[in-house]
Amino acid sequence: MTNHWIDIKNTDCALIMGSNAAEHHPICFKWVLKAKEERGAKIVHVDPKFSRTSARSDFHVPLRSGTDIPFLGGMIKYIIEKKKYFKEYVTEYTNASFIVNKKFAFKNGLFSGFNAKEKKYDKSSWKFDLDGKGVPKKDKTLKDSRCVFQLLKKHYDRYDLNKVSSITGVPKKEILRVYELFAATGSPKKAGTIMYALGWTQHTVGVQNIRASAIIQLLLGNIGIAGGGINALRGEPNVQGSTDHCILYHILPGYLGLPRANWPKLDDYLKANTPVSNDPASANWWQHKPKYMVSLLKGWFGDAATKENGFGYDWLPKGDKGGDYSYLWLFDKMYKGKIKGGSIWATNPAQSVPNSNKVRKAMENLDWLSMAEIHHNETTDFWHRPGADPKKIKTEVFLLPSCHRVEKEGSVSNSGRWLLWHHKATPPQGKSKSMGEIIVEIMNKVRSLYREQSGVFAEPILNLDWPNYYNAENMAKKINGYYTAGPKKGQQVPSFGALKDDGSTVCLNWLYAGSYTEEAGNKAKRRDYTQTPMQAKIGLYPKFSWNWPVNRRILYNRLSVDKNGRPWDPARTVIKWNGTKWEGDVPDGGWPPLATGKGRYPFIMRKEGHGQLFGPGRAEGPFPEHYEPIETPVKKHPFSKQLNNPCAKIMDSDADMRAKPADPRYPIVLTTYSLTEHWCGGGETRNVPWLLEAEPQLYVEMSPELAKEKGIKNGEVVAVESARGRVEAVAMVTIRIRPFKILGKTVHEIGMPFFAGWTTPGVGDATNRLCIAAGDPNTTIPEFKACCVNIKKATSITELA
Amino acid sequence: MSKAFFIDTSRCTACRGCQVACKEWHELPATKTRQRGTHQNPVDLNPYTYKLVRFREHKVNDTVKWNFFPDQCRHCLEAPCKDVADNYVKGAVVRDEETGAIIYTELTKQLPNKAFEEMRSDCPYDIPRRHDGTGLIVKCDMCIDRVSNGLLPMCVKTCPSGAMNFGARKEMLNMANKRLAVLKREYPKAQLVDEDDVNVIYLITEKPEFYHDFVLAQGFGAITRKAALAKLVSPVKAQLRPLQNLFA
Amino acid sequence: MEITRRGFVKLTGLGAASIALSQLGFDLGPAKAYAAGLKIKGAKEVISICPFCAVCCHFIAHVKDGKVINTEGDPGYPISEGALCAKGASMLPMINSDHRLLKPLYRAPYSDRWEEKSWDWMLTRLAQRMKDTRDNDFKRYNDKGETVNRVNSMFHLGSSQMDNEECAVVHQAMRALGIVHFDHQARI
Repeated sequence: MTNHWIDIKNTDCALIMGSNAAEHHPICFKWVLKAKEERGAKIVHVDPKFSRTSARSDFHVPLRSGTDIPFLGGMIKYIIEKKKYFKEYVTEYTNASFIVNKKFAFKNGLFSGFNAKEKKYDKSSWKFDLDGKGVPKKDKTLKDSRCVFQLLKKHYDRYDLNKVSSITGVPKKEILRVYELFAATGSPKKAGTIMYALGWTQHTVGVQNIRASAIIQLLLGNIGIAGGGINALRGEPNVQGSTDHCILYHILPGYLGLPRANWPKLDDYLKANTPVSNDPASANWWQHKPKYMVSLLKGWFGDAATKENGFGYDWLPKGDKGGDYSYLWLFDKMYKGKIKGGSIWATNPAQSVPNSNKVRKAMENLDWLSMAEIHHNETTDFWHRPGADPKKIKTEVFLLPSCHRVEKEGSVSNSGRWLLWHHKATPPQGKSKSMGEIIVEIMNKVRSLYREQSGVFAEPILNLDWPNYYNAENMAKKINGYYTAGPKKGQQVPSFGALKDDGSTVCLNWLYAGSYTEEAGNKAKRRDYTQTPMQAKIGLYPKFSWNWPVNRRILYNRLSVDKNGRPWDPARTVIKWNGTKWEGDVPDGGWPPLATGKGRYPFIMRKEGHGQLFGPGRAEGPFPEHYEPIETPVKKHPFSKQLNNPCAKIMDSDADMRAKPADPRYPIVLTTYSLTEHWCGGGETRNVPWLLEAEPQLYVEMSPELAKEKGIKNGEVVAVESARGRVEAVAMVTIRIRPFKILGKTVHEIGMPFFAGWTTPGVGDATNRLCIAAGDPNTTIPEFKACCVNIKKATSITELA
Repeated sequence: MSKAFFIDTSRCTACRGCQVACKEWHELPATKTRQRGTHQNPVDLNPYTYKLVRFREHKVNDTVKWNFFPDQCRHCLEAPCKDVADNYVKGAVVRDEETGAIIYTELTKQLPNKAFEEMRSDCPYDIPRRHDGTGLIVKCDMCIDRVSNGLLPMCVKTCPSGAMNFGARKEMLNMANKRLAVLKREYPKAQLVDEDDVNVIYLITEKPEFYHDFVLAQGFGAITRKAALAKLVSPVKAQLRPLQNLFA
Repeated sequence: MEITRRGFVKLTGLGAASIALSQLGFDLGPAKAYAAGLKIKGAKEVISICPFCAVCCHFIAHVKDGKVINTEGDPGYPISEGALCAKGASMLPMINSDHRLLKPLYRAPYSDRWEEKSWDWMLTRLAQRMKDTRDNDFKRYNDKGETVNRVNSMFHLGSSQMDNEECAVVHQAMRALGIVHFDHQARI
């Protein structure tokens, strides 16, 4: 989230799209209701099905899964044509005025530089023209035909109401109703927030869905202000923190890129990854990256990290240039027998990865597997799943009991980036242990083996700065970082400003520097409710816990003020310049306002310092363009001849069968989702009797029209089939699902949760057996939200028996 | 001064925190359920479920309405169930003077089945349930152990949306009337349910039958529910039938 | 009516309070009688955080005799102010579930059952398997001859269930082992 949960109460209009907030983040909805009741805010829910969120919104607009970009693209067109954008904000704070290279073009659904063979773009034309000093050329009148604003206008000119309506299935009147309401927040004294979740990310155009929303929020001046922002409602218990610490193949803690084979030495890595800006008014914060990287390496390898060995960079694994090592590719390689062993900790891929039949089969190819879990689940017990013969499965399985959170202490980060400490109530039950203890003990065993036996490339293992036992408090200190040399040796660093690239500081995550300091100790434990009246007004608690970065509660907050540091809306002040210093939230850098001549542009993390209406960093283009899901009920769409995302990552093994576009065998769109009573794949909540009592079995929500067409009655068991699998579910025939009119034809959509798994008898089994293993080209997040299926009354019932 | 709940259904998101929290506090086991084509589960109140979120959906002018009704004992000011029980076993049902809570005690085990049947049919809201094994008759106890210690009932404490409220009766009535006045502007059919007769005051924004069969006590205070329903049988049943079909 | 016992601690609650009441007699009045029986009286209160969505609602664990006997929302967390959803309100049976894994379990190749093993046995054997796989498959160079220092055939998945401190230490370990197939729920 750019903002935080409480801040939602400050909004005038909440567009909830790609999220079912009331069901998946139930507690946050009180702040939505507060905005509605106390400010008269409008709450709009755009989503394929009418859910508990829709029930409490002002109105609900159903749209076909996978058509968010047309809907949002139409809104961009509306905002520009009706001049609803916040002109000063757009001109000064975004790259609207930047002049784009004349070779940049868009034609037939493709941007310039596409290489069809590699499914990749050569992005050399996606750049700005620079002046003599190397600074982007600008036209602040926004009239130059090559400026970003004009290119944006031209790009979305095609997204007219007729086309948008025909492909999304939303009647024009409903589309306009949303556009009018939300575009009204373009006034400087209005705030609009966008709340999204996996409904946007889990598409082959997931990143571009969010890019489209970013463009809208930048045009309307909604970023950086109270009640505004783009708020990713993060769904897992510490997914914010685990992402910040980058349990992900492509990044190291603090969002530092993975070393790649084409950067053999630390200097190569730093040179390639540290942006240089020639504009003195751009903070270009990532210029400090070398300090963060070296402090991380120093934390990992301690005294063994020296300038000569690149502080241990030489020992790190390097990915191939462009290599993708994510879930989808991992299971693809595993299926093909190329993976021998590994660990799966507190995640249930046999249940939660698309095309689960392939995943389950792939696991049989492993020689060994270690798992840390709190319950048996479909992954731990894959070797005796229905239809499998254990006597033919070679995998050696180590199942390690991990304790409940209440039995350990440590910190987690909420979706608004608050760092929160949880305390230990009791010792771990039975012989269970925390995952921290488990990894420390495993590595100590591995280290002993490498000391005792000869081994390959033992340096990184033996040179680790590694604890003898796990202690959360000590790790929290190390994450914050400390000095390793000089007069303050051994002391905690006060913030990332103190980090150095010479090995004199340690910091396991620069974003968290400042969370555990000499003077204040562990700030995750703070429970101080002190606020200034200005902070109280917007629900900001600067001393409760701590917030990364540097306790900043609303990101990009320099956008909430004009060039003189005056808030656009004094009634909702986030920060303001009092002539000598900033008041309110911690500003994005302490520089004075821009008008003083000593300020910095507000987007301090961007090289040019401006919000990116034109975003050249993305794989499939600088502007979001509509592409259909990989499995789609249509053969064409009205925006171009390019049906699917040209750069999508699609698995292609013999287990990855696909429906053709508009395949008559699979005419129905399936979308999948979670629900309040179960959590994700259900591995934990299915073992809680009250939750299972409330939601006992897998169901499929469908319209009465479809039910009638298929002769299905409410409560009957049906079989849902895709090209990849068959799943049994109870039919929930409901008026909350409506058929869509797409390009003049009726298209049915159905929806299923994915909490059911065979280890809980009679509940059903993985919905993801139906889903397609195709990923977004930027993130490789799979397209869980749209694939094509068929349904029929089940003739034999096994999974729900 | 007795205590009261104010339950604002316009704020309920059906997260079912209240339903589960009630079970947690009272250490009530789950019952075996199955998916029947609705989110409402268990099907109904039962000896192990004192609080149940009911779901009902319908269309008005092509707009979908989905209503949630966190159902529980209303702790009537003059409780018909107590009147019945008093005729059989004194002390089986008691009213706590301090809070106004209607409490079923262990003596309910001694009530003959006939008495239970009468209690249930006389309850304007169809609340009492009997446990087959022990013979106890059970329902919401206002978390009287918590309330007596200055704590909120578990369902109220757990509610995230402001739907569940609890406090002095006067205060709750005040809150309810204020909220009603606001909602009336958008929902002309908004009303408080039997607020003069019960200590659990619901606010609904649509017709009662769009939530649940027993939202409103028909002829409450003078005649029993059975009688009231018998009297109004045709119009009520006519309205209910299509809804019931949806959830059959 | 069929009661599900799976994972539930025990059915003590049913009617427990009313028994206490009848023993105390009616003169006292129900409120006072019940007040005396408040189960969380005297319990230690420990603040923890619901392990589900990233609202991170805080809850209070009431601990008696080393056991969590009740959980309820923590009013001191300004976001949830004491509230919980159905999942958060289920913390007690999640903690005290008889379905929980409480012992290390081992499944030998081609076996059809789990065996209980000691931690030491498990970790020693697991560490050896990790070392063997790493030693056999470690790649100093890729096909282009570039230095890569990685092991392609080993992976780690998970988890967003870990604390920040656990994530930090797991990340450090995995890169030291040379693992690039490293991912978690943020991507699915």
